[in-house]
Amino acid sequence: MAQLPAQTIHRDPQLFYWILLPITVVMVLTGVLRHYASVLMATQPKRFDQKSIREQRSMIHGVATRSNFYVLSAPSFRARRDYLANAYESGAFLKDPDRRGQPPANPMTDPSAMDGMMGMMKNNMAMMIPNTLIMSWINAFFSGFVIIKLPFPLTIKFKSMLQAGVMTREMDPRWMSSISWYFLCIFGLQSVFNFILGSDNAANQMAQQMGAMGPQAGPQMFGPGIDPDKQFKTEAENLAVVEHYSVLDDVEDRLLEGIKSK
Amino acid sequence: MASSLLHPPGHLPPATALRLSQQAPSILENSPGAISTSLLQSMLSTSETQELWTKYENLLLSCLRTGDDTSAHQCLGRLVNRFGDDNERVMALKGLLKEATAPDDDATLDVILQEYEQILQVNPTNLPIVKRRAALLRAMGRTTEAANALNSLLDMSPTDAEAWGELADVYLAQGLYPQAIFAQEEVLVLQPNAWNIHARLGEILLMAAKTSDAPKRVTEALKRFCRSIELCDNYLRGYYGLKLATRQLLSEVAPKATTKQTETEEWDVPSSITVQKLDELATEKLAEIIRRYSAGEKDWQGYSEAEIVAARELLKTQDTATVR
Repeated sequence: MAQLPAQTIHRDPQLFYWILLPITVVMVLTGVLRHYASVLMATQPKRFDQKSIREQRSMIHGVATRSNFYVLSAPSFRARRDYLANAYESGAFLKDPDRRGQPPANPMTDPSAMDGMMGMMKNNMAMMIPNTLIMSWINAFFSGFVIIKLPFPLTIKFKSMLQAGVMTREMDPRWMSSISWYFLCIFGLQSVFNFILGSDNAANQMAQQMGAMGPQAGPQMFGPGIDPDKQFKTEAENLAVVEHYSVLDDVEDRLLEGIKSK
Repeated sequence: MASSLLHPPGHLPPATALRLSQQAPSILENSPGAISTSLLQSMLSTSETQELWTKYENLLLSCLRTGDDTSAHQCLGRLVNRFGDDNERVMALKGLLKEATAPDDDATLDVILQEYEQILQVNPTNLPIVKRRAALLRAMGRTTEAANALNSLLDMSPTDAEAWGELADVYLAQGLYPQAIFAQEEVLVLQPNAWNIHARLGEILLMAAKTSDAPKRVTEALKRFCRSIELCDNYLRGYYGLKLATRQLLSEVAPKATTKQTETEEWDVPSSITVQKLDELATEKLAEIIRRYSAGEKDWQGYSEAEIVAARELLKTQDTATVR
């Protein structure tokens, strides 16, 4: 089978200087700028007051007692269980005991919850605004240019990715348009930012997106809109149903067995 | 040995602490004093690592122990440069340095105590300072106040194992055994697999058994020591305690008549055969540890000299007792 003649397109060498280079430089600079902007805008981690710390840690304490009950002897576990369950039921650890039984406050009106949301908004904005701007800039100025030819062959599936904005059906997918170069920069500049800004920089959007999806469990436990009183009541029930045994029950026999079998 | 600087130096034997602090000037000279935040310089110089600041903190503690105050001041200065004056941990370290370099009179310490209290009035959740205040109160001999300070700290933050441990120690020093046992049990609830805490609780129980409730407490102590050995093979402290506990159980006449206790919740005193076996086991193991340690075997050098000597003494008294 005869080989297809290689497509050749004569490009102005100036394309390289006036499109490829500017896009790359602008992308790098935005990344750096975004990093410093988010450093500036970062809110101080919120300080909890005494009572909310007490509320949270009492909760964790109950969970620890429930899950590690086996290190205690039966009487000392019972004493702890009675105390904790009582205190949980009566709401002794609550931040404001007067508000028991009332529906949780609307997170929109709670100023402390607003802070967290504002922080998230700011981060998202810092990511979205420059992206939108640059994309429209590229679209307005450089759309429709074919700027480089990749040095390796590609299958036809890459056409829609690499030749966005160029409507030529027959063209080899190795040819790249400017908007594709922009996308490639978004995903490919991470190591450049790592080099310039250190490894935990804020310029890296992929990491941010991962972070936004991933660890939500921590704040969620005590997040806004969750009634701590109900949590305490659940925990009291959990404690009440623990069937106590102790790891010390037959430890001396276990030890003798273990030594013997060695 | 830069790696040992990455761990808190509280438990180090004096010789090691001295060696570390003698290295202080050279370490201070070779490590960067401050990390520049500017873009260009951070590209050129080495990047900042967490280890660096841990090293400074531990070096500071070692230097204070050995009286190298100038190096300690330098370490603190660098930490302050990096983290600022109002970082909670830095505040506690500053207080620690002041306490350590204060002349030995109560007046100066009182001033420092008042400073702590002022800080706490502004921000009562500054846990490092709360802890320093409790430690300072204890150091000044005001033990009851120290216990109160720790109690209020634990009321706010009952998941603080360090504070529970300290509270157990304070109560133990005052001879309040039930309270000490309770606090030590709390540590275990938070750190269920800490064999040293199991052994420590056993020790407290043994001490408490001298005052009241002997059979019950010795039994629990025995079990605690067994658990600590189960968690950590060849744990000298565990075997030592086990030996003490079994000896006490064997020498007592009481458990002969095994009156079935009405409360099934509490542990029965183990049968004398089991105790006998455990006693033999402990003796054997202690002898093995001592033998291998003194023979200089390679993997058996981790024990501290004092513990080995104590174990040897224990075995010796045992021998003379049987001879008699």
